[in-house]
Amino acid sequence: MPDFQLTVNGRLYRVEAKADTPLLWILRDTLGLTGTKFGCGQGVCGSCTVHLDGKAVKSCQTSIKDAVGHAILTVEGLSKDGSHPVQKAWLAEDVAQCGYCQPGMIMTAVALLKHKAHPTDGDIDEAFADHVCRCGTYPRIRKAVKRAAGGVK
Amino acid sequence: MTSRRDFLKVTGATGTGLILGLYLEAKPRPAAAAKAEFHPNAFLAVRPDGTVRITVPKTEMGQGVRTALPLVVAEEMDLDWSKIEVVTAQPGPDFKSMQTGGSTSVSSTWMPLRKAGAAAREMLKAAAAAKWRIGVDQCRTEKGFVLGTGGKKLGYGDLVEAAAKLPVPKEPILKKTSDFHLLGKRTPRFDGPAIVTGKAVFGLDVRRPGQRFAAMLRCPVPGGQPYSWDAWKAMKVVGVAGVVQVPTGLAVIADSTWAAFKGREALAATTTWEEGAAKNFNSAALEAKMRKALTGLADEVRKEGDAEKALAAAARRIEAEYSFPFQAHATVEPMNATAQVGQDSAEIWTGTQSPNKAQERAAAAIGLKPEQVKVNVALLGGGFGRRLGTDFSTEAAQVAHAAGGRGPVQVVWDREEDFRHDLFHPATLHRMRAGLNATGTLSAWCHRIAGPAVLRSWMGGKKLATQASVEANGALDIPYNIPTLKVDFAEVEAPMPLGWWRGIEIVPNVFARECFLDEVAHALRKDPLQLRLDLLGDRGLVKFGVEGADIRRLKKVLEVAADKAGWGHKHDAGHGLGLACHAYDGRTYAAAVAEVSVEKGQLRIHKVTCAVDCGFVVNPSGLEAQVEGGIAFGLSALFTQITWEKGRTVQTGFEHFPLLRMADMPSIEVHVVPSDEAPSGIGEPPVPLAIPAALNAAFAATGKRIRRLPLGSDSFK
Repeated sequence: MPDFQLTVNGRLYRVEAKADTPLLWILRDTLGLTGTKFGCGQGVCGSCTVHLDGKAVKSCQTSIKDAVGHAILTVEGLSKDGSHPVQKAWLAEDVAQCGYCQPGMIMTAVALLKHKAHPTDGDIDEAFADHVCRCGTYPRIRKAVKRAAGGVK
Repeated sequence: MTSRRDFLKVTGATGTGLILGLYLEAKPRPAAAAKAEFHPNAFLAVRPDGTVRITVPKTEMGQGVRTALPLVVAEEMDLDWSKIEVVTAQPGPDFKSMQTGGSTSVSSTWMPLRKAGAAAREMLKAAAAAKWRIGVDQCRTEKGFVLGTGGKKLGYGDLVEAAAKLPVPKEPILKKTSDFHLLGKRTPRFDGPAIVTGKAVFGLDVRRPGQRFAAMLRCPVPGGQPYSWDAWKAMKVVGVAGVVQVPTGLAVIADSTWAAFKGREALAATTTWEEGAAKNFNSAALEAKMRKALTGLADEVRKEGDAEKALAAAARRIEAEYSFPFQAHATVEPMNATAQVGQDSAEIWTGTQSPNKAQERAAAAIGLKPEQVKVNVALLGGGFGRRLGTDFSTEAAQVAHAAGGRGPVQVVWDREEDFRHDLFHPATLHRMRAGLNATGTLSAWCHRIAGPAVLRSWMGGKKLATQASVEANGALDIPYNIPTLKVDFAEVEAPMPLGWWRGIEIVPNVFARECFLDEVAHALRKDPLQLRLDLLGDRGLVKFGVEGADIRRLKKVLEVAADKAGWGHKHDAGHGLGLACHAYDGRTYAAAVAEVSVEKGQLRIHKVTCAVDCGFVVNPSGLEAQVEGGIAFGLSALFTQITWEKGRTVQTGFEHFPLLRMADMPSIEVHVVPSDEAPSGIGEPPVPLAIPAALNAAFAATGKRIRRLPLGSDSFK
């Protein structure tokens, strides 16, 4: 099997895998980074969202081959202790219910705020259009994004 | 009965820690068998360093039990919230009933947990008083310390040895509500920090040494079996270790989830099926049967006077048919379980709402005794009743067993399997009839429900005496004072596995009930709020159904919701307001007012205003989250459905099951009606209100009455 070099959360990994293996499973099963979640494997629930060079992507729809040469960031890489402004906003708004979809939501929020420091409601609707939260935490996610936007001018 | 539930006992009087066990329906463990502070039957344990471990006897699926239940203990015990550790209990002799469902976690543990905390506090105080040679009444407790006269102060950790030797007070003095400093205040979720850093461990995140992964190849028709297959095709896939057969299908075991999925794909291409008894099942045929069952024989569950006679004599009769489809749970974390099986022991890691049943059934399936199977409860990535089932945990034990017991195996369901092999919430049809008399009042109400019975499926095909009452929940406990009433249930069998869904049968039954009542209001030219208030009347405690209800509390939430939503006042052009209310099991009172509009044939829900009375509120932040989430869960069912063709679900993914997303979510306002009653549930009570409130509002906005779900592109044409 081919060898790939991946940069995940600033660390370099050498991984042996088939070229079409989704990044999601490399993160979860090979590297043990289980913060990135499996929800659908079809790119429609957003639970597996990670960053590639700062842009939010669905890791279930990104092959390892396509991830090579990009800076991969997962929820574990945001901060060591939950001190990233978006994580802090999530805690302040007490967003999570079951919490399963939240790492994906947080990664999308971080990417959104990077490109748009003060997103409108429409921006938020659009950014999270591909995410599902079955617990219905959407109002608190919206508040948390706005809170984080206030904090990271 | 309460003496068993409320049993308190000190164990672990070894000088290393005070362990106070709470035995929910469990026998006390003899003191001789007690060992150290980490004894698994202990409910709370104080360590010499002052940290306190609280063992939660219910499972966490987002409803907040790992916050709410420890708060109850911490309040009575006067703990420092930053110094507690929370663990989920394991099923066994000390925790015989961990089943988590029916919105009962707080109500069923409230008094036992308070007493456990209070007893511990009294013992710590007594230990300090003895040490200081002062009276117990000269001591008080605060944030993990006992304080005495003259500035004396000892941490709980310093008192564990002495306290452990004291007798447990049988009826410890509980705090007054007015002395609470943790309960009733907003406390963020205990697991929040772990969740936002990705460290929280859900079932799928379990990683054990030597763990392998398995994917199941299942017959697309529930109940079907593989007839022929070629395992070698799967074995050729890199990473695949083997293929084993278990009762639910063929398991492909591999060194990664992806390899297991790819191996299954290769195996599927070679497999033929014996599709079984359900292979011709389809939605249209079932609906025809259900429609037939709307007339004829049924099990009567509520009868007040002679409703048929009153209907016949009525000046005017109205009749309508309501339709609610099959639904899936669609938890975002697909079903999964990890199992390791040895010669005479096994261990399971899974997110389950039924830890005890998971233990019993896995043990039975692999020829072990329940006590030989250890069940570790992970966080649930959503439950909603789906994880009351034990199919996935039993299956994982069978796969690990069939694999020859070589290390742990994690069975990972994919999204399609999760939809196709759910324990479905069944479809129902409702025949609603009302009689109106010449003076403009309601004289008769008949509600016939036709559909499959969840309880029969749950009982393995057996019909219990309570079946019709269970299926008619929400219809038979109609709270309105109507001179004649008849509620009955006509069972139509379906060959699919059915299960409990957030809000259970109350959701379709209250949808039909509250929407049809709106039709009655319209027919009588009465305001829907006024009609409800009139029909509730000046009544107090009323006995009906299984529980009965306090009508005053229901009336109050209805009035508050209507008032806060601006009922009867002007609102935006094109917007309509609709309401619904229900007394959930006669314990939690909830009302909702929805504000909606219909734009280009699409229903837009702008706002839902809720009022709830669920007794004392343990954690307002958690309560509001449950109401927000409950309304969202209900509103999603305006749009989602499961249909059947040739025994298969037509829907196989989120793309066919349009759950509410960010842009669809209305703003939600939650108003709590203060109450000194003991807490009751809040996870499910809001759910049944969402649909009728929204559809009654849609009628107010458009004059179009929706009686059939889900909404389609032509619903408002």
